[in-house]
Amino acid sequence: MKDRRKPKTSALQRVLQLAAACIGLVFLAPVVWMVWTSLHTEQSGMFTAVNYRKVLVEAPMFVWFRNSLLVSACITFLVLLVDSLAAYALSRLRFPFKRALFVLILTGLMIPAETLVVPLYLQFSKLGLLNQLYTLVLPAVAGPLGVFVLKPFFDGIPKDLEEAARMDGAGTLRIWSTLFLPLARPALSALAILTFINAWNDYFWPLVSVTEKSRMTVTLGLPTFQSAYLQTYALPMTANTLATLPVLLLFLLFQKQIMKGIAFTGGKEG
Amino acid sequence: MQLHKRAEWWTGYAMLLPYMAFFVLFMLYPAMHGFRISLFEWSLIGDKTYVGFDNYKELLRDAQFRDSLLHTFRFVLMSVPALTAFGLVLALVAHGLRKGRTVFRSVVFFPVILSVSVVSSVWVVLLQPYTGTVNSFLHRLGLGQELFWLSDPNMAWLSILIATLWWTVGVNFILFLAGLQDIPDSLYEAARIDGANGWDAFRHVTLPSLTRVSLLVLMLQTIASFKIFGQNLLITGGGPAGSTQTTVLYIYEKAFSRQEFGYASAASFILLVIILLFSLVQMIFLREREGGR
Repeated sequence: MKDRRKPKTSALQRVLQLAAACIGLVFLAPVVWMVWTSLHTEQSGMFTAVNYRKVLVEAPMFVWFRNSLLVSACITFLVLLVDSLAAYALSRLRFPFKRALFVLILTGLMIPAETLVVPLYLQFSKLGLLNQLYTLVLPAVAGPLGVFVLKPFFDGIPKDLEEAARMDGAGTLRIWSTLFLPLARPALSALAILTFINAWNDYFWPLVSVTEKSRMTVTLGLPTFQSAYLQTYALPMTANTLATLPVLLLFLLFQKQIMKGIAFTGGKEG
Repeated sequence: MQLHKRAEWWTGYAMLLPYMAFFVLFMLYPAMHGFRISLFEWSLIGDKTYVGFDNYKELLRDAQFRDSLLHTFRFVLMSVPALTAFGLVLALVAHGLRKGRTVFRSVVFFPVILSVSVVSSVWVVLLQPYTGTVNSFLHRLGLGQELFWLSDPNMAWLSILIATLWWTVGVNFILFLAGLQDIPDSLYEAARIDGANGWDAFRHVTLPSLTRVSLLVLMLQTIASFKIFGQNLLITGGGPAGSTQTTVLYIYEKAFSRQEFGYASAASFILLVIILLFSLVQMIFLREREGGR
C-alpha cells in the first residue's frame, strides 16, 4: 500500500515505531498473561495442561460453544435474509405508507435494546419461551441496523440493470437474489460480520432469559464457571483462553474483512 | 414488463413483512408494553396493581436511582473524550507508520472481538491489590503504595474505564483510520505548496477532514457508554458501595433481584427516553453538518 504522507524523516518513523511497539505490547499483555497463567499451576514450574483437563471436565465448554455457534449463525442468517428483503422493498418498490414505515424502522435505531429487556422478559416468560435457543435469536433480528445500511446501498445500484433484467422477464425475487444480493456483497459481509460478533458477545438479554446451563452461550456460561474460582486465577484464565481460541482463529482468518466491515458501517452511519 | 401497481404493492408488503414482524413483535411492542407495565406494580406471577405514575414519582425520589443516573452520566463524560481521543491518537500512529502497520492494527483491534465475560474476568484479576499483575508492575516501576483499583470508590470507575478502553477503543481506532486514509493526497500537496509544515498540515488539513468521522465516533461512543452493563456487573458488581451502579445495572437489580418489574420498567422507560433524545439530537446535528458542507 503506497504511503500517502510525504516521506517521513527516519527520526519520526523511529519514534512512531517505538510508540507503536509500546502500545502494542500493552494491548497484547493481558492476553499473553491470560494464556501464560492458564498453562501454569501453583506447583508446576513448567507448562502444564492440567488446567485445561480440569476445565474441560467441569465446564460444559463444548455445549456452550455449540450454542454460541448455533445462535450466532441463526441470527446472522435471519438478519441477512429479512433485512435484505426489506431493504429491497423499501428501495425499489412502491407501495402506500412506504416512507412512514421506513421512518418507523429508523426510530428503532434510537431504542437501546437494554431498555427493552424487562418487557421482553415478561413477554417471553408469559409465553413460556425462556431458556430456549431461539429465545436468544428472536429479539436479535429486530434491530434496524441492517435495513439502515442496506437500503442506501441498494439505492445506489443503477436502475438500468434492473430494467434489463425485467425486460428479460425476471420476477422480483429473481432480481433480488441474482442481481441485488451479489452486488451488495461488501455491505452484506460487513453486516454479517458485525451481526455475528454482536450475537456472540451479547450478555444482558442472555443473562436474564437463559438460566439453564445447557442452553447457555460461551459468553453467558463463562462467569458461572468462574464464580466458583474467585481466589485462584489459573482455572478462570484457562476457561477464558478456551473461549478465546475459536474467536482468535476467526479473527486471524477474517481480520481484514472484520475491520473493513466496521469502517463500512461507520461510513454509512455518518 | 412492468409490475402492475397492485402487484407491486403486494410484493412490497410481502418482502417487508418478515422484517416488520420481528421489528413489531420484538422491538415496537415491548417498547410500548414496557410503558404500560411501568404504570403497574407488577410481579412475576402476574399480580398487577394499577398505580398510574406512582412508579415514576417514586423513582424521582429514589436516591439510588438518581445516583445511578449520575453514575451513568459520569461514566459517559469520562469515557467519551478518553475513548475518542485514544482512538484518534492510535489511528494517527497507525497511519504514520510505514512498517508494521498491519500488525499494529490487528493488535489494537483484537480485544474488540472478545466477549465481555473474558474481558472482565481478565481485568478483575489484573487489577487485584497485592497479587494483581498491574500493581506488581507498578511496584517494580517504583510505586510505593498499594492501589485499590476495585475497592476504592474513587478508583473503581477508572478501572472500568481502563478495561473498557482496552476492549473497545479498536472500533474508534478503525473508524478514525478509515477517515485518515480517505483524505486525498492532493489536499496535503496543496498545503505543502502553500508552505505549510507538518503541524500546519495537521491543523488545517487533517483535523478538518476528520470532522465527520469525529462526530460519528462521538455519537457512537456516547450511546455505547450510556448502555454499559457487563463490565461494571462483572468487574465491580456495581460496587464498591454502589458507586459503579449505572441505570442499566439498577434496572437489572430491581427487575431480577427484587422482582419489581413495574418499577424497573419505569426506570427502563426513563432511560429509553434519555438515550432516544441524545440520539435524536446527535443525529440531527450530524445531518446538519452533512448538509452544511
